Amino acid sequence: MMRENQQRITQLIVSVLLLILAAGTVSAHGASLSSGSREPIRVPTWLFLSTGGAAVGASFLLASFVTDRQFIRQLHQWGFPIHAENSHVAVTAGRVLGLVGYVTVLVIGFIGPSTPQTNAAILLVWVGWWAGLAMTSYLVGNTWQTLNPLSTIALVLPSLNRRYPDSYGAWPSVIGLLALIWIEVISPLAADPQLLATAVVAYSVVTLFGVVIFGRDTWFDKADPVERVFRYYGRVAPIGKTGRKIKFRLFGMDLSVPRLVDDFDEVAFIIALLWGTTFDGFVTTPGWRTLTEPLVAGGFPPQVLYPVALLAGFGLFFGIYLIAVELSRRTAETYLQSRMVAVQFAPPLLAIAAGYHFAHYLGYFLELAPALWLALLSPFSDPGTVPVYQPPSWFGGVGIAAVVIGHLVAIWVAHAAAYDLFPSRIQAIRSQYPFIAVMVFYTMTSLWVITRPEVALPYI
Amino acid sequence: MSNHEYTIGEDQSPHLCEYCGRPFSQQEWLDLHRGLEHPNELSEEHISAFQTAYEAEEGELGRFRLRALGVLILLYFCLLMVYALV
Repeated sequence: MMRENQQRITQLIVSVLLLILAAGTVSAHGASLSSGSREPIRVPTWLFLSTGGAAVGASFLLASFVTDRQFIRQLHQWGFPIHAENSHVAVTAGRVLGLVGYVTVLVIGFIGPSTPQTNAAILLVWVGWWAGLAMTSYLVGNTWQTLNPLSTIALVLPSLNRRYPDSYGAWPSVIGLLALIWIEVISPLAADPQLLATAVVAYSVVTLFGVVIFGRDTWFDKADPVERVFRYYGRVAPIGKTGRKIKFRLFGMDLSVPRLVDDFDEVAFIIALLWGTTFDGFVTTPGWRTLTEPLVAGGFPPQVLYPVALLAGFGLFFGIYLIAVELSRRTAETYLQSRMVAVQFAPPLLAIAAGYHFAHYLGYFLELAPALWLALLSPFSDPGTVPVYQPPSWFGGVGIAAVVIGHLVAIWVAHAAAYDLFPSRIQAIRSQYPFIAVMVFYTMTSLWVITRPEVALPYI
Repeated sequence: MSNHEYTIGEDQSPHLCEYCGRPFSQQEWLDLHRGLEHPNELSEEHISAFQTAYEAEEGELGRFRLRALGVLILLYFCLLMVYALV
């Protein structure tokens, strides 16, 4: 027993040291990537990409050194319950706050100042909600479930409680998420307050219509894309619900809990979330322009270009994941159905998605947070100058570090999930080969996108 | 574990777990599975089979660790060289 313990501790120390080394190497090189995002880096792109890919591969090898089942289980179950006193007061306060925010967005969106940098609706939605609140959902815990104003309004709506067809599953939320990404990319939602308010109204109408037909719980549980994004991000966070209790645990450890996703539809949602962050950047690269110019010159309608590319890229990401699932069944020599393998190794990808979100939005949030504060204090006046926070020059390194940490968490969680699924430890390690290849591919794609110079969207 | 679903080809003859019916392609994996998932229901014979399989796996893991370490060192030095040259 003594010897086992010692061995375990040595294993852990060595792994942690090597992981830090791997992460340190990448962030050191990555730091030259940016002071401010998207500056050309000093090392050649191929080398930058290979380093990123190699870091992912190396972290997998390091994680595979930890072979003690009991230790892995203990690490994942570690945590303590948090007693939330007067939780109904907190819930009511959260709901009121959500409703106030919702009314603010609509009122200021329609009749507030027309410059986007001083309009509280624009700043509240993009800076406060999509950057700020989303970051808290994976760094602290998911609060959107309570804040969601539409969910609060739905409380007082009648419902026909029609049966939600089982075959739909999470697919409406996948389609909804892709549609939201498409609209966000092609329309000036972050520049035109009235358009933004109109979009919020349209989204509310669709959502409440769904609530009336299928019932509040069913709709938000299955079909609403935004609720699902926040719920999945919340699984990465250290604070979350386990059963009915609120519990504190380590980052990402809740991702290996079975039944977060049950079928291919939910796997597709996770892949769509990951692809969405990449697509957002991809369409502003010069590569996208070069790729599409001959197509448009050849008579391809430019309006169709964006949705087709969005769907094709999603198909590519999803297809690659499904191929990895089949290969993994082969390398692990298992009789488990593809579905069982697919649902086991999709949740770790959420840690990667969270890492990318943080890298994309932290700088944006900090720069514009003072403007948001000012706009909320005096929503109807239009000050001439907008306060902007200028992050220090080392700040770009934080983004790279977030991407790296997201990957490390994902690799560790997948490692634990493999140990959970397979009785043989060597079999568990082998099952990971194809998924690691997929993660390397996702990483290199995303890193390639952030090293490209940013150009205006063509044909819009 | 019993809620898993499986695909077994017609030409395949898996080793089935007596307790939950889960199929395995290798006898050692079934031995390991029994010990991990049904520890309280095992016979003496199954317990010793689990121990044998577990120890045999240690050897295999040791060889894997050695190879992994080799790959890591190779990777590290390749990158180091490339960074020195570029």
